[in-house]
Amino acid sequence: MTLLELKNVSVHYGRIRAIHDMSFKVEEGEIVSLIGANGAGKTTTMKTVSGLLNASSGTITFAGEDITKMRAHIRVVQGISQAPEGRGIFPGMTVLENLDMGSYGRKDRSGVTKDLDRVFDLFPRLKERTKQFGGTMSGGEQQMLAIGRALMSNPKLLLLDEPSMGLAPQFIRQIFKIITEINNQGTTVLLVEQNANQALARAHRGFVLETGSITHSGTGKELLANPAIKEAYLGVG
Amino acid sequence: MSTTEGPTLIPDDAAAQAMADREAKGKPRKGWFPGLGEKWNALPRQTQWLFLIIVVVIAYLLPILNPPFITTEPGNNWQIALAQMSVYALVAVGLNVVVGYAGLLDLGYVAFFAVGSYTAAMFTSPDSPYLHIPYLWTLPLAMAITMFFGVLLGVPTLRLRGDYLAIVTLGFGEIVRILATIIPAMKGQVGFQNVGHPPGTDAEGQPIFLNSNGTPWYWLTLTIIIVVLLAAGNLERSRVGRAWIAIREDEDAAEIMGVPTFKYKVWAFAIGASVGGLSGALFAGQVGFVNNQKFDIATSILFLAAVVMGGTGNKVGAVLGGSLVAYIPLRFTAIAEFKYLIFGAALVLIMIFRPGGILPARQSLLAYGRTAYNKLREATGKKPAPGQLAPNTGKGAGDE
Repeated sequence: MTLLELKNVSVHYGRIRAIHDMSFKVEEGEIVSLIGANGAGKTTTMKTVSGLLNASSGTITFAGEDITKMRAHIRVVQGISQAPEGRGIFPGMTVLENLDMGSYGRKDRSGVTKDLDRVFDLFPRLKERTKQFGGTMSGGEQQMLAIGRALMSNPKLLLLDEPSMGLAPQFIRQIFKIITEINNQGTTVLLVEQNANQALARAHRGFVLETGSITHSGTGKELLANPAIKEAYLGVG
Repeated sequence: MSTTEGPTLIPDDAAAQAMADREAKGKPRKGWFPGLGEKWNALPRQTQWLFLIIVVVIAYLLPILNPPFITTEPGNNWQIALAQMSVYALVAVGLNVVVGYAGLLDLGYVAFFAVGSYTAAMFTSPDSPYLHIPYLWTLPLAMAITMFFGVLLGVPTLRLRGDYLAIVTLGFGEIVRILATIIPAMKGQVGFQNVGHPPGTDAEGQPIFLNSNGTPWYWLTLTIIIVVLLAAGNLERSRVGRAWIAIREDEDAAEIMGVPTFKYKVWAFAIGASVGGLSGALFAGQVGFVNNQKFDIATSILFLAAVVMGGTGNKVGAVLGGSLVAYIPLRFTAIAEFKYLIFGAALVLIMIFRPGGILPARQSLLAYGRTAYNKLREATGKKPAPGQLAPNTGKGAGDE
């Protein structure tokens, strides 16, 4: 079943077009990776799906419902949750308060407690540091917190914007391992990455984004084997 | 400790963490008396209430006690000084909702104060040809009218952020002042004399609320401040309060957590505006005279200085900051001329040495999380409370 579908979506910043006529689908249960260079429109795509930016044309459908005009805070309740680029945690709140904010739109108290346990299982580090302020954590911990916080809304679709940004290589592997684990638990993941190698290896399907349009698509393995992509994004020629 | 299958820190990260921990420990967040906030929270509820009651009783007794050294006499009447301080404190509490909680920089807050003052004046002063109503009725009326103006200003402008919002509010502050000058009905510099006051006469048949006697005005405003503080405290702990803090910290992140940011920003504006209007009406009543001279940009900045000095986001800090801003020029009459110079310098110093203000804010923002946290604490039993920067955490990670 198709969870998310973008049809001919264009996004503008003022008069500058950031995304042009983009269409892709995310099936339920998948990990889908969008890869591309700086300025290709990856973050714009994410913000358009989460609702922080409005599409200037085209339609976005989520779980069979047209959400093109829906405000971001309502999309969260509908099941789209984003861990923003640069982590976007609340620096003056503690770990627990950050996670608590993640469940802001929810009414089911018992579900929240259960999801808190789930996040602490995925990230034991966060459990050790519930009272630490978000702003004083290391980059890797902030990334865990951002993902954990996004999970607190119990999303159907988790949007991850460059989870590996600024992290040490060893840590990147761990973050990706956890992303696979989250997916195994039943959450669909849409991932945006510059680290194409890891992102494609973990993904069911992938798309390559260049200057606002999708230029290649296929399964993660196909894209990894594609010579053009190898040369452009994987650093081997 | 972190040798579970979960992610562990690599040495670089651990070193960064250790540094962050040290920094976090080295900088006491709670002000000049580190740990005071925690000690206060640890006190039993009854002790807290007892302490608060004593403080409130002393506050009510201030005009009678007229404490030597602290008093503003002989330069200025102490009771009237107190009345003015209390009005400024109330203004600061209102502005703190906008600037402190929601993080919206409002440089035109004096406009709401002005609207409140004019509401009280135009509905009670004999100089006004319009409908006259009892003074006390103008208090809720001023709140309603300024709230309306808050929404009116907020809806179109709150889509702007940061500097842009500050400039638009600055403009709004000027618009109200200039309107008061050019609209004939608002009487410009001539203004309105004999603004009304609450009813009641003493044994000799004299009205209790006189412009020359600050004590009843001070008591009235103090009572209103206490009510507003209780309301603000409830808001702070509610979903609305958490939403405001999240908006202040990171507006986009708040939105994708499911916070309707626009709606809550308008709410902050409306609530802040209504308190500003209320304090304006009290000010008009106490002084008894309203014209266009008191509502300039400098006053707006003074209000903002009160909030920042007291501690942005801390309602008790706002009361302190507001009182101080009014008190210092009244107490030290020799330097009153230079008050802007002194407040400017004080602000710079506070920003350098104490960026959080005299009483830095630290709200507890948990709703659902609180139950979860308690559960967590029970589960971990005798171990140190989770997250309390256990000393062996860093070492364990370093051993990897």
